[in-house]
Amino acid sequence: MFKYILKRIGLSIIILFGVSVIIYFLVRLMPTDYLTTKFSSQLQQGTIKQEDIDRIKELYGLADNSFKGILTGYFNWAGNLLRGELGDSFIYEKPVAQVIVENMGISFIIAFIAMIFQFAISIPLGISSATHQYSFRDYTVTVLAMVGISLPSFFFAALLIRVFAAELGWFPVSGLVSAQEVYTNSFSDRIRYLLDMGHHLVLPMIVLVVLSIGSLMRYTRTNTLEVLNADYIRTARAKGLSEKKVIYVHAFRNTMIPLVTLLAGILPSLFGGAMITEEVFAIDGIGRLAYKALQAGDIPFVMGYNMFLAVLTVIGTLFSDLMYAVVDPRVKLGK
Amino acid sequence: MKKQNSGMLSLKESRKISKENFRITKEFEKNKKRKVDASFYTTTMHNNENVIEFDDLHTFFFTDLGVVKSVNGISFDISKNSIVGLVGESGCGKSVTSLSIMQLVQAPQGQIVSGEIRFNNDTLGLDEEGHAKCFDIVKMPTDQMYKIRGKDITMIFQEPMTSLNPVFTVGYQLDEVILLHQEGATKEIAKEKSIEMLKLVGISDAESVYKRYPHQLSGGMRQRVMIAMALAGNPKLIIADEPTTALDVTIQAQILELLKDVQKKTSASILLITHDLGVIAEMADYVVVMYAGRIVEKGTVLEIFENPLHPYTIGLQKSKPLINSDNDDPLYSIPGQVPNPINMLNTCFFKDRCERCIQKCETGYPNEIKVTKTHSVFCYLYEDVKEEVK
Repeated sequence: MFKYILKRIGLSIIILFGVSVIIYFLVRLMPTDYLTTKFSSQLQQGTIKQEDIDRIKELYGLADNSFKGILTGYFNWAGNLLRGELGDSFIYEKPVAQVIVENMGISFIIAFIAMIFQFAISIPLGISSATHQYSFRDYTVTVLAMVGISLPSFFFAALLIRVFAAELGWFPVSGLVSAQEVYTNSFSDRIRYLLDMGHHLVLPMIVLVVLSIGSLMRYTRTNTLEVLNADYIRTARAKGLSEKKVIYVHAFRNTMIPLVTLLAGILPSLFGGAMITEEVFAIDGIGRLAYKALQAGDIPFVMGYNMFLAVLTVIGTLFSDLMYAVVDPRVKLGK
Repeated sequence: MKKQNSGMLSLKESRKISKENFRITKEFEKNKKRKVDASFYTTTMHNNENVIEFDDLHTFFFTDLGVVKSVNGISFDISKNSIVGLVGESGCGKSVTSLSIMQLVQAPQGQIVSGEIRFNNDTLGLDEEGHAKCFDIVKMPTDQMYKIRGKDITMIFQEPMTSLNPVFTVGYQLDEVILLHQEGATKEIAKEKSIEMLKLVGISDAESVYKRYPHQLSGGMRQRVMIAMALAGNPKLIIADEPTTALDVTIQAQILELLKDVQKKTSASILLITHDLGVIAEMADYVVVMYAGRIVEKGTVLEIFENPLHPYTIGLQKSKPLINSDNDDPLYSIPGQVPNPINMLNTCFFKDRCERCIQKCETGYPNEIKVTKTHSVFCYLYEDVKEEVK
């Protein structure tokens, strides 16, 4: 077991190296860069000369766009990484690691609560839809889930804002706290602050939950159907177990086995933020920052953010593989 | 009529069938869930010495292509402390018969349509005329069935490899039966009994097998565990649905020996379902031969093997390979195929494959002809024999 984990960690270093090369080259090959965008208007007005921009580019390490130049840039970045530095973000003008850590919290809270709702809703729905296959309930649930999957997040978010924020006024349009409120450090104010925040997060969470229910529900449904046709379910019924026990004890454990694969994707989605939803609701989570950084060509931040996601994905995959051995006694890790 | 013969349905016809099926099966499912008084499904046995009596049982499957009459009016009895063999080729309704006893036919398509399965569990006493009171399984609601399944009637399935739940230990799965059906059972009692059961079915290191997962056991061991599970509830009837088909030959003999042994020890009856005539000859006291959802011949094992009457039974026996025979003739096989189960005509189902078919075979399904007290056959060829017996 221990050996297996060590081996997997060794492998993931190679994977992460490959990922970083690809991301770095992709970002550097974007048609425009941070400084060109930043100074374009000043250049047109004549307040800055092209030579000056080129000099600043040299400083930023963005001047040489040949293959060799990009390669040098990559090794500079990688060298810093080995020294434990992710560099300073161009647009946020702070160390990348600090920006990520500071803004991760709110994204994590949103994603975590949304995920609890997602599991709590879609797994029971999937199971009941499978046990009532082809019934009215099954069709209704399936159609609604499909609608959920098919809605683009920006469109659904805009729709919710229009109806519940603009028309009905039940929820605030955007942001994390009301701007006009003043909060002191007292206990009651903190509660008020949390409630206000919760009020602001209702709509973003609805978006995240509705969009993600569908796939997990369909996944659960298919797995449950497959398991319910298995011979050991017939054995369980022949023992005299009630239908509830058959489904929630004997079938459920087996349904969970393929669902464990999904755990691999959980870590990055928990900490990675929801780019588009955060952007639409103007919540300064990590997703929104990454979106802005990408638009601006902020190479250190984009690199840092993507490597952060890659590390989380690798850990998530390892975690889900270890979980396999926990839920399925037939799986033995070792070599 | 033309379309039916070709076996193809138009979209419109198929949709009409599905709709009709949905309506019919919904009604049956509703009946299974309703709350009824015990008197509704209590009746009396025709013979107190029987553990189960099938009376004109019909189990149909409502498929999108039409109604498949898997079990089409069968009647036979299983007497106490006996082994009854149910033979027939694949798809003749053997397994559906056994699943009907447990109400485990694949719902909602499969439904017991009519008939009675009278199950005598000896606990209800006698009525005024001295007949034993019993339950009619066909009418029983599902929640009452839970009390019978796994306790009074248990089942051993064909595939030991897939019949045990892979994520629970053998011990857990055995304990479950005992905790469910034995009153006042605690975990310790259940464990003790489980280990005792494992020893009973000839597993020597019962304590270690108790803790193992099914994938760590061989096929023969798993079938032993299945048998242990079937015995744990002290059943009146054990249904063994092709218990040896998936095992290799050396293990087959052991398992059959074990079943016979267990039957003697517990004095439960066994309904042994198989297509292997050798197994039947070895094990059974009484034999029922099925073809296309109906019984063609039934009798004691001696009568069926020494004096087979129905052309199908004779064909079955001729198609059994004989190891000691000297002739090099190819093995006999019954010509033709099992008829399409949808839209079967109301004549003898075997007539198209029968070598001794007579003119009368075109008219209606033949009635039961009792040749002796225990031996009966469904065939027009023996109508005059019946008179002789009288």
